[in-house]
Amino acid sequence: MKKRLIITGGAVALVLLILLFLWKPTVVIYGVQRAGLYSAIAIPMGLVLGIVHIVNLAHGELMMVSAYLTYFLATKLGMDPLLALIPAAVVLFGFGILIYRLTISHTLKAPELNQLILTFGIAIVLVQAVNLIATSQPRKLSVDYVTASAKMGEVHFGIYDFVFVALAVAILLGLQWFLKKTKTGRAALAVGQNPKGAQLVGINVDRTYMLVFGIATALVGVVGGFFLTKQSLFPAVGGPFTMKSFALVAMAGIGNLPAIFFAALGLGVAEAFISSFQGYGGWAHIVFFALIIAVILIRSFRGGK
Amino acid sequence: MKRFLIAILFITAAVMAMANGSDEETAKPIKLGGVWPLADITGEQASKAAQQAVEEINAAGGVLGRPLELIVIDSEFKPDKGAAALERLATVDKVDVFIGGMASSVHLGQIPTLKKYKKLTVWTGAASHLAEEAIGPDADWYFHLHPWDYNQGEGYVIGWNAISEKYPQIATERWFMAYEEGAFGSPSFDASVAMFSDMGTIDGDSFTSAAAGGGDYTAVLETAKAYKPDIFLWAGYAADALPLMEQSKAMGFAPPLYVGAPPGWPADFGASELAENVTLYGMWAPSISDISAVGKKFTDGYTEKYGALPATYFAPLGYTVVYVVAEAIERAGTLDTEALIKAMEETAYDSPLGETITFTPSNIIKHQGLRNQKILQWQNGRQEVIWPFEYQTAEPVYPFPGWDNR
Repeated sequence: MKKRLIITGGAVALVLLILLFLWKPTVVIYGVQRAGLYSAIAIPMGLVLGIVHIVNLAHGELMMVSAYLTYFLATKLGMDPLLALIPAAVVLFGFGILIYRLTISHTLKAPELNQLILTFGIAIVLVQAVNLIATSQPRKLSVDYVTASAKMGEVHFGIYDFVFVALAVAILLGLQWFLKKTKTGRAALAVGQNPKGAQLVGINVDRTYMLVFGIATALVGVVGGFFLTKQSLFPAVGGPFTMKSFALVAMAGIGNLPAIFFAALGLGVAEAFISSFQGYGGWAHIVFFALIIAVILIRSFRGGK
Repeated sequence: MKRFLIAILFITAAVMAMANGSDEETAKPIKLGGVWPLADITGEQASKAAQQAVEEINAAGGVLGRPLELIVIDSEFKPDKGAAALERLATVDKVDVFIGGMASSVHLGQIPTLKKYKKLTVWTGAASHLAEEAIGPDADWYFHLHPWDYNQGEGYVIGWNAISEKYPQIATERWFMAYEEGAFGSPSFDASVAMFSDMGTIDGDSFTSAAAGGGDYTAVLETAKAYKPDIFLWAGYAADALPLMEQSKAMGFAPPLYVGAPPGWPADFGASELAENVTLYGMWAPSISDISAVGKKFTDGYTEKYGALPATYFAPLGYTVVYVVAEAIERAGTLDTEALIKAMEETAYDSPLGETITFTPSNIIKHQGLRNQKILQWQNGRQEVIWPFEYQTAEPVYPFPGWDNR
């Protein structure tokens, strides 16, 4: 029954997308691109929140830190940002482990509110530290390939942002492989479902938490490097993406990583659709959160997670 | 004899002590208290340029034989911090004059404190007419350098009409304004619509600034592209500047004039080839050095001292405010507020901005300095002045070149 519902829903969504593409092709193009960016940032949060149940409100700020790191590597060493993001992600992995060891590991057994307050505090520290080091002056790397474009009849559009779709899919497939095919991944799933049971069967729960948090931080570090190529950097740039990621993970259902991509697709296209009507751009934010509230309410009435 | 010698020694010591006291009095610095947002490029560079002016003046012998001392406190872009900074400058540092200023919201929070102390105040920022209303008509001690918002609006109308008259090939009839949906962009659009009875037709649409979590301009650019404007004007923040150009290029959007009106530009904007021939508003450009000796002295001095060209017109404003105050103190010959106000009213300072600064009444206050922004254009990585024509440093490039023709 559930499978049939998913297939029917998917088919209806596909038909709607095709019809929308015929009516307003740029809405679908830009909506899919937005979805790529949103889901690439949200999926690592989905790993931490959905699999090992750590509430990380410093998620967007960690992306911001990585973007700054990539920026300085790129400008000081003359590296392309898409290369510089590799060492930045490695540093972020270590940074994630450090944050986990020094702070989060002490709150695992405490109520979730403690994690919320703790990671909120970490977010503030990160923003202010970057503000002190790099000032609030916006920075932007100018790279040629971000202006790559294509023409389809009369429609002239940018194609670089599809890189975020590819990135989101790559992160998703990689994580699916990690969680299902590797020992550490299966351990992470077990720890997420039942930490005490996992410990009883010999899984090092603390190490698993630490690794998953480090991997998620490294992944959001990779996204930060790509983000830098598209948008200006300033210390507060990550905050809104923490909120959007949190909302997408909640909408997709905690623990359901592939659904984050489809939730982002729906929201990205809905935002692009509303914004395409002159004078209604401001409604896009309302649609975003209204859709999330509606989905969560429907799920709660149906008794889902 | 012994008593006589003791008396001589005593008198000599007393005279020496008095002489020393007198030296200390004449050497006591005249204190200028500045408040700017130091984490922002505007405040950072304004305060640096003010320090540059202080050092130049002190090297030339100071004012009334006394050195100037600049004490700067960070407003952190917050009204409460800005007001507290003034309190500290008045009570702890005991400054003689208040200078500084950036952001109307901060200034609105500072005005009650300024009214409390009624010290000579010369302000470099705050364009909102709401700040002018809050200052009111009776504040004789208040001098405002930056143009008010309505001055700027009137200036743009005059500027674009003058440009289209001198260069008939430049069409200025059909405008599209992309504005950020927050407190800066939306009122700017409303003000533009109101003044467009004198300038043709205007349409517009909003976008979410990158500074507010946005950064996707595709929808507003699609709308603008369909409108086919003569002039495309965007009003957002520095964080929007380069991404907006990149998305315009990716979408093949190249209107005949591409105009940006953010309060500040990213420091490295001019280095990008996407900046070429973008038109902008501002009060100053390094190219003013070509036509102004004071402009050259300021720009060369700043670059030598800080190792980089100033990137915002708040730098020459910071430099100007110190010179305007120093010259007024010299004319007044005293730090008495009444005498200083009178001397300030006689100001005629040949500034690095190009204009000679004088103070005349505006809609409400008695002492308004500058009235217009300039219309500038990026050419070969440099901001050139297009209008006012008396400060013009280059002919305008028109139309904005298509992305494929670069």
